Amino acid sequence: MTNDYDVIIAGGGRVGFQTAEILVDRGHDVTVIERDENTVDDLADEWMVTVIHGDATDPGILEQAGIDRADVIAGLTGETGVNLAVCLAGSELASQVRTVARIERDVGDAYTRFVDAVLFPERAGARLAANEIVGSDVQTLSDVTGTLDILLVRVAEGAPAAGKNLSEVRFPDGTLVVSDDDGSRIARPETTLTPGRQYVVAVEPDVVEEVMNLMRG
Amino acid sequence: MSNKNRSPQAELGLLDATMIGMGAMIGAGIFVLTGLAAELAGPAAILVFALNGVVTAFTGLSYAELAASIPKSGGGYAFVREIFDDLSSFIMGWMLWFAYMIAGALYALGFAPNFLELLHVYGVVPAPDEVGAIVLPLVDVAVPPAFLLAFVAVLGLVGLNAVSTAASGSVETIFTIIKVSILLVFVAFGLTSAKFSGAEFQPLFPEGSGATAILPAMGLTFIAFEGYDLITTVTEEVENPRENIPKAIFLSLGATIVVYLAVVVVAVGTLGAEGLADAGEAGIATAATEFMPEPLPIIQNGGALIVFGAVFSTLTALNAVVIASSRVAFSMGREGQLLPSFGQIHHRYGTPFVAILASAVVMLGSVALPTKSAGNMSSLFFLLSFIIVNVAVIRLRRERPAMNRPYKMPFYPAPPLIGIALNLVLAGVLVEYLLRTDPLALALSVGWILLGGVAYVALNRFQTPTETAPTDTEMSPQTED
Repeated sequence: MTNDYDVIIAGGGRVGFQTAEILVDRGHDVTVIERDENTVDDLADEWMVTVIHGDATDPGILEQAGIDRADVIAGLTGETGVNLAVCLAGSELASQVRTVARIERDVGDAYTRFVDAVLFPERAGARLAANEIVGSDVQTLSDVTGTLDILLVRVAEGAPAAGKNLSEVRFPDGTLVVSDDDGSRIARPETTLTPGRQYVVAVEPDVVEEVMNLMRG
Repeated sequence: MSNKNRSPQAELGLLDATMIGMGAMIGAGIFVLTGLAAELAGPAAILVFALNGVVTAFTGLSYAELAASIPKSGGGYAFVREIFDDLSSFIMGWMLWFAYMIAGALYALGFAPNFLELLHVYGVVPAPDEVGAIVLPLVDVAVPPAFLLAFVAVLGLVGLNAVSTAASGSVETIFTIIKVSILLVFVAFGLTSAKFSGAEFQPLFPEGSGATAILPAMGLTFIAFEGYDLITTVTEEVENPRENIPKAIFLSLGATIVVYLAVVVVAVGTLGAEGLADAGEAGIATAATEFMPEPLPIIQNGGALIVFGAVFSTLTALNAVVIASSRVAFSMGREGQLLPSFGQIHHRYGTPFVAILASAVVMLGSVALPTKSAGNMSSLFFLLSFIIVNVAVIRLRRERPAMNRPYKMPFYPAPPLIGIALNLVLAGVLVEYLLRTDPLALALSVGWILLGGVAYVALNRFQTPTETAPTDTEMSPQTED
């Protein structure tokens, strides 16, 4: 099978929008549920995801978003309560679905009893702000650049590039494989893309999907 | 917003999008099928093209609504995949894939006689019907040169697309402008020529069969209006897509109908329906050589310009369907509805290699078909897939009323229902016509659907035991972070 996930995002505001954009760039199948009419129009202008207009905690709306086929549901609205309700409703309707909830305050692992993962965007933003303020040479991988994606990619078994030397694989322009397997050496033409190993890859956003296809199948 | 530059090529305006749609429609259909339509329907070939435009407009509305609300570039297959279960969407993809592959064969078969005509105009070879068969020394059989040419054309374009990712967008606009300009030259000279002033459109319908003769002709030429499926392939690059895509669909359809009608009126008016029918696949080209001015600098014969247009159009259309057919197979592979290798990009060439090769095998095989059979089969499968697309609109409206629809068709549910009914009628007429005149094409069509059934069952067998194992290993990197 393929490595494309079927993702439902509740909330198409700032966090939900950016998340959807990154996932779509990587070739995943995203549906956004949004309550606010103006935000729905903004999303439609981008012509990026299918949008369901309604309340994400409503089971009927979740069904219209295709919860029975979804791999992941993420509650990314600004309200912790709504996000948790979305995740709980999601796993109630479809037990196979992985749940991710955005929270407002850092309360440790308290919520992981209800959802598979929590995220705290303010925390990540604060880390980035701190990096910028200190101006240190050491920065978190994904925060370094404007639009470039720096990714840690695990080569999948059976992917087109799996088991091939770098010199044999023609990555699209705008791709750079940075590290050798598991990041101990800089990649060289004779570096082999061993299935199961991880590689640091710098990619321009518009070719991410192709690179994913080559490395993940 | 900083992420505006995530897709820097999103700069196709309404004009470009319209041109892509027109380019897809005004391709080979008009050059190749006008003669064949005249053979079936006489001067009523004009009506055939007009009515087909009306029929296809209903499905156009459905495409506009779906394309504006479902941002996927997989065309009709992607829309149907969104709402239908596995089996139905598989059938849709399987049929659409076949429709494109047979269309490829049709365009290749249309390319060959027009290319021979072009060589003939310049005196390189004798008149098309006088060219003898080429004897292949190795296999010791005589092969008609047209077949050989069609085969080579498919092989060349497949090879090109298999090893390099082709440019799109702006190139397509230029191609379309060239094609349309050549047709406009044809219309302008035709309308003013002495032959047209004595034009004879009566009797409109052929003797004996009457008005019913236009139905099979409509079935045959339906493929000439297949094009909005291709507009939806470039939507990601169009600015303000939720407004421009529906507009581009309607504008290209409208403009195409106007161009077609002008061309067919001129062709019937100058050459007469019988002469057009005799010329077959090279109908428009033959009509042009009748009235275009002879002594011209460089190209010598004005008719050669039109013949060149036919050669150029069939080749670009062939190229477009090679890409389109492999794209359908690629999407099906991505969705796990064909072997996963169909959905993978070749590690060296960066193209959907397996999908292209598989499409090529069917196309090369189909080149052996008569042109009419290829046209009929391709039209039949487009009709059937368009029925499913119309059903998808209705199902989506019923099951997902809250889905955001930037473009909503007027007078719902009438357009999709009328679309389904008209497409069903044409498909029925076509099947009945094939039953009477071309059982081979019908048998091949049924065979392809049966083969699809076998493939579907085999694929589910192949996936069920292995599916659990890989999903576990795939999930592990996810849980790590």
